[in-house]
Amino acid sequence: MKKYILLLIITLTYLDGCTPDDRMHIRFWHQMQVGERAVTERQIQRFMEQNPDVRVELLYKETEQLRNDFIIASYARQGPEIVYGPSDMIGLLATLEVIRPLEDFFDEEYLDLFYAKAKVWYEGHLYQLADKLGNHLALVYNKDLLSKPPETTDELIEIGKELTKDLTGNGRIDQYGLVWNYTEPFFYVPFLTGFGGQVMNDEQTRPTLDTEANVRALNFIQELRDVHRIVPREADYEIADALFKEGRAAMIINGDWSWGGYMSAGIDIGVAPIPRVSETGLWASPMVSTKGFSINEYIDDEKLPMALELIRFLNEPENQLEVTEAVKTFPTRLEAMEDPIVTRDSILVNSRRQIEVGTTMPIVPELRAIWDSMRPNYQAVLNSQKTAEVAARDMQSLSERRIREMLE
Amino acid sequence: MLERNRKLFPYILILPAALVMLGVVFYPFVYNIVLSFSNMSLRNFREWQVIGFDQYIRVFFEPTEPSFYVVFIKTMIWTVVNVTFHVIIGVMLAMMLNRQIKGKSIFRTLLILPWAIPQYIVALTWRGMYNYEYGAINLILTQYLNLPAVEWLRSPTEAFIAVIITNIWLGFPFMMVIALGGLQSISNEFYEAADIDGASAWQKFKNITVPLLKPVMIPAVTLGIIWTFNNINVIWLVTNGGEPADQTHILVSYVYRAAFGLYRYGYAAALSMVIFFILLIFSLTFMKRSQATKSAY
Repeated sequence: MKKYILLLIITLTYLDGCTPDDRMHIRFWHQMQVGERAVTERQIQRFMEQNPDVRVELLYKETEQLRNDFIIASYARQGPEIVYGPSDMIGLLATLEVIRPLEDFFDEEYLDLFYAKAKVWYEGHLYQLADKLGNHLALVYNKDLLSKPPETTDELIEIGKELTKDLTGNGRIDQYGLVWNYTEPFFYVPFLTGFGGQVMNDEQTRPTLDTEANVRALNFIQELRDVHRIVPREADYEIADALFKEGRAAMIINGDWSWGGYMSAGIDIGVAPIPRVSETGLWASPMVSTKGFSINEYIDDEKLPMALELIRFLNEPENQLEVTEAVKTFPTRLEAMEDPIVTRDSILVNSRRQIEVGTTMPIVPELRAIWDSMRPNYQAVLNSQKTAEVAARDMQSLSERRIREMLE
Repeated sequence: MLERNRKLFPYILILPAALVMLGVVFYPFVYNIVLSFSNMSLRNFREWQVIGFDQYIRVFFEPTEPSFYVVFIKTMIWTVVNVTFHVIIGVMLAMMLNRQIKGKSIFRTLLILPWAIPQYIVALTWRGMYNYEYGAINLILTQYLNLPAVEWLRSPTEAFIAVIITNIWLGFPFMMVIALGGLQSISNEFYEAADIDGASAWQKFKNITVPLLKPVMIPAVTLGIIWTFNNINVIWLVTNGGEPADQTHILVSYVYRAAFGLYRYGYAAALSMVIFFILLIFSLTFMKRSQATKSAY
């Protein structure tokens, strides 16, 4: 009997001894794209060289999974010390009390070094310090196919028609004027706002979808596909992305996270604001948010100073600019925002123009129920199962009901 | 002393596995039961309370979109169609592989391939193949067969057929492997005896193969039904989370959305208990009716 117990003890000791590491572990979950991730990995390597007693473990998770896994881990008082993601998850994480208010850890003097929107407050507390501003959609065009981007939706349709071509003469379209993940509500918002609508009221308390603006915007998207035929009949994110990367689409509406990938795919891209809606004269206004760092509510006290140090380090202007240069995202340190790297780069200048006409993304958890209610009704319009009027009404009633269910 | 140790030894051997089972199966299951009677949700995340049967009443009577009953019927269709094809194709291929054919091992490897590729990759590849303009399926239909292109992922019925096709492709190798094992264990003497009696191929299949294969296939079919009923990966990835317009949900993807989309943990726990009981009642009845545990000989 003793022999077995001894064997067990030896095995366990051996297993435990496989990774002798006395350094402090800081776990860091994020949802950065490949290019962005590569820069952050380099920076973290430098951080660990400066702090040899610290080991930072980076773990990528897709946005949705990151949020869910973090909630579950933190519920069990586990999970990473730092969680990095878009600001729209902040309302949810704060409501669930799984992230910690940060205002006591960073003094005012330090916070003043950041652009105002980089500090994400919710119900009186600072929950996220962002290093990237934007996370927004814009019009990206292939300079080899198009020299001047459209400024109005009429121009968009006209240019789109010219550039939608059957190049081989087999009756199939080989090149589209415009592609984008148009079946997803987030990618529909620029046109909803361009027609004067919003997904929520200014107080962010209720959805505002049963509107004339929504009806007109829904009809507009359907016409782009069925009447003007400048977008593919079916396009999700991957298809749109692949068509643009292969040079088979002149324009794409996609977020700043994707631009670096287009450049590495060898496409000579230009970025422009999504055109004004000709009927209203309003700019298409995509949602603008931030991406940044939050701290787990259940972080060990001894790890907290080092986690904060890491956040400070990654937010150094030169580190922010290193990311900006590599993947064309917008920095949040005021000093970095005025750097020639930002002010002289045509992509970033146009990205800023888009940010300026963008709509701030609500961070309340209710937004989730709204997306969930918009999606089926929006797709029902695209499938001709519902008219725009009925869909707008159903979006409103379904989101009101889902919000009630969610907040029960 | 030695005798006592000998009695203790098997328990020590199963102890690690039992502890793991306790931690990863039993504890979460009990916790889920408790949650299903609670009000745990976005607003009651840390300080939830047990509130009784409210969540169960919501599951059955709350007006949702799409309704519980519609999703339930779709789940039944999804499960029955899938498992039926898995078994038919699986047994057919197993019977072919059980003969003396040239290049048997190559065929066997090729046929197991769908099972060997990770489900995620398979689902996303099929999603690409279903694309209206660029997908391989429509290209074959229009260019080589002169048939009209199908809007696989845009229309609810076609999308549902599309996911079923994908899952049939993914699921038949399992049934084939099990059936092949079963076929190989059937003694050739039975067939020889039948030949002497002048039995036809169909009579041999009906009176020898089927009854002797049954004890092997029934547990596999039961497992197949439980797996298919709960297979969220394929349906979620091929239809991009229930598209178009939330028309391609099965009960388990419905639970996923309630828990991780709307943070209704209590409600989702109650719904998953309902699924558990549906499967439990089904499995018990099916095993009993088919007399799976009875010896074939």
